[in-house]
Amino acid sequence: MLRQLLLGIALAAGMSAQAAAETVTILMEGVPDTEYVKTLVPEFTKETGIEVNLEVVNYAEMHTKLVPQLVASKGSYSAIVVDFYWVGEFTKAGWLLPLDERIAADKFDTSVYMPKMMDLVGKVDGVTYMLPFYNYAMGMLYRKDLLADEKNKTDFKSKYGTDLGVPKTWDEYLKQVEFFTKDGMHGVVNQGLRPDPIAMEWSNYFFANGGEYHTDDWKPTLNNEAGIKAVEQYTTNVNKYGPLGSASFSFDEAFNVMAQGKAYSYITYNFFRAGIDDPTKSSVVGKVEIMPVPGPTADKGGSLNGAWGWAIPKSSPNPDAAWAFLKWVESHETAKKRALQGGSPTRTDVFDDPDVNAKYAYSQALKNMLLTSHNFPVFTYTPQLVEVLGRELSLAVAGEKKPAEALATVEVEMTELAKKDGKLK
Amino acid sequence: MNQSLTIEAANRRFGWFMSAPSLALLFAVILFPVFWALFTSVHDYTLITPNFDNFTGAANYVEAVNTPEFRHSLLLTTMFVAGVVAIEFVLGFIVALMLNSVERFKPIYYGILLCPLLMNPVIVGLIWRMFLHPSLGIVNYLLSVAGVEPVNWLGSTKVAIWTIIMVDIWHQVSFMIVLLLAGLSALPKEPYEAARVDGAGTIRAFLHITLPLMGPVIMVTLLIRLIFAVKTYDLVYIMTRGGPGTSTDFISYFIYRTAFVSLNIGEASAMSAILLSLILLLTGYLYRYMRTLT
Amino acid sequence: MASITLKNMNKIYANGVSAVREVSLDIRDGEFMILLGPSGCGKSTTLRMIAGLETITSGELLIGERRVNDVDPAERDIAIVFQNYALYPHMTVADNLGFGLKLRGVAREEIDRRRDRIAAMLGIEPLLARKPSQLSGGQRQRVALGRALVREPQAFLLDEPLSNLDAKLRATMRTELIKLHRNLGTTIVHVTHDQVEAMTMGERICIMKDGEIIQVGAPMDVYRNPTNTFVAGFLASPPMNLLEGRLDASSNGAIDAVIGDARLQIPASLAAGFQTHHGKAVIIGLRPEDFHLSASAARHAVELIVVAITTEVLGPEVILVANLAHARGPEVQIRMPRDFLAKPDEAVKLYFDLSQIQIFDATTTRALPRQASK
Repeated sequence: MLRQLLLGIALAAGMSAQAAAETVTILMEGVPDTEYVKTLVPEFTKETGIEVNLEVVNYAEMHTKLVPQLVASKGSYSAIVVDFYWVGEFTKAGWLLPLDERIAADKFDTSVYMPKMMDLVGKVDGVTYMLPFYNYAMGMLYRKDLLADEKNKTDFKSKYGTDLGVPKTWDEYLKQVEFFTKDGMHGVVNQGLRPDPIAMEWSNYFFANGGEYHTDDWKPTLNNEAGIKAVEQYTTNVNKYGPLGSASFSFDEAFNVMAQGKAYSYITYNFFRAGIDDPTKSSVVGKVEIMPVPGPTADKGGSLNGAWGWAIPKSSPNPDAAWAFLKWVESHETAKKRALQGGSPTRTDVFDDPDVNAKYAYSQALKNMLLTSHNFPVFTYTPQLVEVLGRELSLAVAGEKKPAEALATVEVEMTELAKKDGKLK
Repeated sequence: MNQSLTIEAANRRFGWFMSAPSLALLFAVILFPVFWALFTSVHDYTLITPNFDNFTGAANYVEAVNTPEFRHSLLLTTMFVAGVVAIEFVLGFIVALMLNSVERFKPIYYGILLCPLLMNPVIVGLIWRMFLHPSLGIVNYLLSVAGVEPVNWLGSTKVAIWTIIMVDIWHQVSFMIVLLLAGLSALPKEPYEAARVDGAGTIRAFLHITLPLMGPVIMVTLLIRLIFAVKTYDLVYIMTRGGPGTSTDFISYFIYRTAFVSLNIGEASAMSAILLSLILLLTGYLYRYMRTLT
Repeated sequence: MASITLKNMNKIYANGVSAVREVSLDIRDGEFMILLGPSGCGKSTTLRMIAGLETITSGELLIGERRVNDVDPAERDIAIVFQNYALYPHMTVADNLGFGLKLRGVAREEIDRRRDRIAAMLGIEPLLARKPSQLSGGQRQRVALGRALVREPQAFLLDEPLSNLDAKLRATMRTELIKLHRNLGTTIVHVTHDQVEAMTMGERICIMKDGEIIQVGAPMDVYRNPTNTFVAGFLASPPMNLLEGRLDASSNGAIDAVIGDARLQIPASLAAGFQTHHGKAVIIGLRPEDFHLSASAARHAVELIVVAITTEVLGPEVILVANLAHARGPEVQIRMPRDFLAKPDEAVKLYFDLSQIQIFDATTTRALPRQASK
């Protein structure tokens, strides 16, 4: 009896020792949602005994850090987060483990995810590789106090003949940008840095003009009226209505201008909404609101969708522990806790949760943004497309290329890339 | 007679044995990657399909040379390197000459001058990006106090490249200073006295004595700085990402993107090979020129 | 060609060290003046002040009749030959020679003419295309000399130019310099610590110690009448034997020079200047060459016994190192003819020439005059 007891204890101790010694290492981006996860991680360790090591870096470094670890047969990351535009590349290269079996075995409910999210960072060609982590659809931050100001209202009406209010269409917004650029104030602040900030921001302009990147069979549709107008409007905003130097602003710099109260509007990622109400960062607390980017008509939006997904690489040293973490971090309780801290949800059950809505009145606005948003072309060579698009847009903004020329170059390269990927026949 | 030959042969073998470990290390760390890169450059090797199944010969090279952006990067980098090396040389020499005649507090001056050089280039890029922010940065603020219009340091295609040059000078000029100062302090003192009596003022003594005697040191310093300047990557990455437009798209950053964004290692290797051969040519030429001086 | 006049020149460095004190010297036009002294005596500093390579803290320097305290070295029309030659290492010998003239804007043909003439004079024509690193010490020294000659200045300043040469070459160059001076007639100021150079080359020697001038005069004058023990002990090799002793009064106005147990009686005729030092401690100077084997060789011989310690056989002569009077007496060095032999501890009878004896005051070290001062 005693011997069995001792054996049992020893075994249990041995097993838990093994589990306790186990660490899950994940490379993550330095954004608010990562912080929220970080605060909750001790709960996971308490529950499972597995240590969690979050390596947090700047966005720009992530892809280069990931690739060598994914190519190797045994990498250093147990789990990773995947930006939507690497999805095509990572799956084509075969770097991610399919999750369907584990999902079925543990009866993990993936129906709670918004379909748009699963399409972007969940399933690829019918196989589930990722669990959506957070979404960063882009929206427009705007100064609601300036819209409410009586003097502004009268001046605007007399100048443009229409009422001053939350813009319903893109053209209405552009008029407001022009109107608010005076007396040291800027109608808009842009993030013109190559390649991601400018490419992502401009996509909103493009969608707002009714444009789409490609047809269903992947023929590029950029060099048209919508595209050219989008480039011209963007150029004008950067050079005429925006602050000096915005042609090379990254998100932080642009956000700072908005947070210091020097701009009326800023098209950016939804997770910046929480930052604008943080008194340590912002001097316009309570004065700013977020909305979907207005589209060509009142019922169409122009927002760019974006998201990150959790995945387990083929080179993961401990895929089981990684899956344990994924299950936990995407459980309803944890997802809700993240959202309550300010995290950006990807699931209907969190979007519609009463506690979340009570705390963040703009939750439904965010949900709408997601629902009306457009996707950037996702295929194996998305990063390269972003690179080319960023370069050409930057040249156009600098006045070194005409909009049509720039867009034509992008189309040529996009065609090449799509062909290489087999998307375009 | 025979015995001494075998002893010599034995000595030589022993010599090889002793240097074998270092040679092996040298081969592994330096030569092997170079050969691997050259081998890769003649194949279609991407990170999506990391195999050597497709031999493409010179296709990657032709592709690279035909890419206007690659040619633009090469040209831009050449101009940058020429500008940076020339300006740092002149500035560095002036400061080295001044420091050479300083008697007291030399270690303090050294310390202050060396600080920028010791900083990580990423940090340098970050702090200068902060300083040069067009509306919130301290540089434009000080300019505005002096009544000067704010300058679009990193957002204007005309200005950005000069901004990068300036930051690079701030960062690296002390390299020149230190090397040139070492050369200057090794110069014999007596010819200068003879020159004084012969009638050479400061400028002529500099032209006729200092410069010729410093020839080898100057050559080496310029060469080293040149090779490092071609590799400038961190500043561009941190401060401008190659923009605005393509005005700061240097070759190292360009090749890096070809490899890790476009995942095309084969083409990136070809570009690196082209760059390497250009540098080798330049180095060879400068080295021959240096030999004719001494 | 010009005279050089130094009036009360001082050199005090920033840290308070005084290298040259109140130096006054009149160098005549065309003279070959030697500045002689041990290391650190200030001779090089003085030369550099004349050249303009050191500033003059106080005093006056005149070259010709011109006050040149604040004049640039290049404007003083002097040429200097450095101890280390200071050739321009990256220039050929030809360029080294012509550099000074080139800086002054002298015409190309003139430079070539002078250079070729000087090169022929110094025998360095075959070396014109070489660089200093390819020359031997002696060749470099001649190039340095040539560089100075080509300038055709008012005066040459030579800073220990022969110190870095081997003995044989030094002897040859000494003669060369003397011949050069005879041919050119230019004023030469030559700094050296070697008294052989001083004695053989100078028209006048200026002896310096601790920044001050001790004595100035023609070589033989200085040699015969040294001002003090320093000068006496500096010139000649082996130098004058300087022995502690005493002067005692003796019969008939003679003076007894007492050195240990040796007693030399100096007759009144030769001791006029020594009367002031009756009974006082003095330093007695006996020159090595004033000891003779036979009494007839001396003008006024006095017998002296020495006990041999060792003999240094030099070839042309023998130096006898011995104790005066007896084996425990003071040590002296004596010049003996080349076939002289003596065994250690052997007593040798010698005759000292009293007419050559030198007496110095023990406290001031100054020489007592032979004639009584009036």
